[in-house]
Amino acid sequence: MSDVKKPSNPEDDWKIWLVVNPATWLMPIFYALLVLAIAVHWVVFSVGLGWH
Amino acid sequence: MAEQSLSGLTEQQAKEFHEQFKTTYTAFVGLAALAHLFVIAAKPWF
Repeated sequence: MSDVKKPSNPEDDWKIWLVVNPATWLMPIFYALLVLAIAVHWVVFSVGLGWH
Repeated sequence: MAEQSLSGLTEQQAKEFHEQFKTTYTAFVGLAALAHLFVIAAKPWF
């Protein structure tokens, strides 16, 4: 396993799509982003920094 | 059968998709930065 060439990023970033098929995973990635955004807003409001 | 990637995408497809992904992600970061500037202007949190 150690002879696997190390990627150099960001030049090799595109290779992620040779492993992760966006036709399958793009929407789950967007939903995870949405859940994260909701979680961050929830915390910000719960610590009293929201507009209310 | 030619060498196929794990995702089934060809190199050209992966590069093409990545270009769009970078564009969309850059727009998302730009909008988020703008939103944060509005919040800082309205109610600095530090």
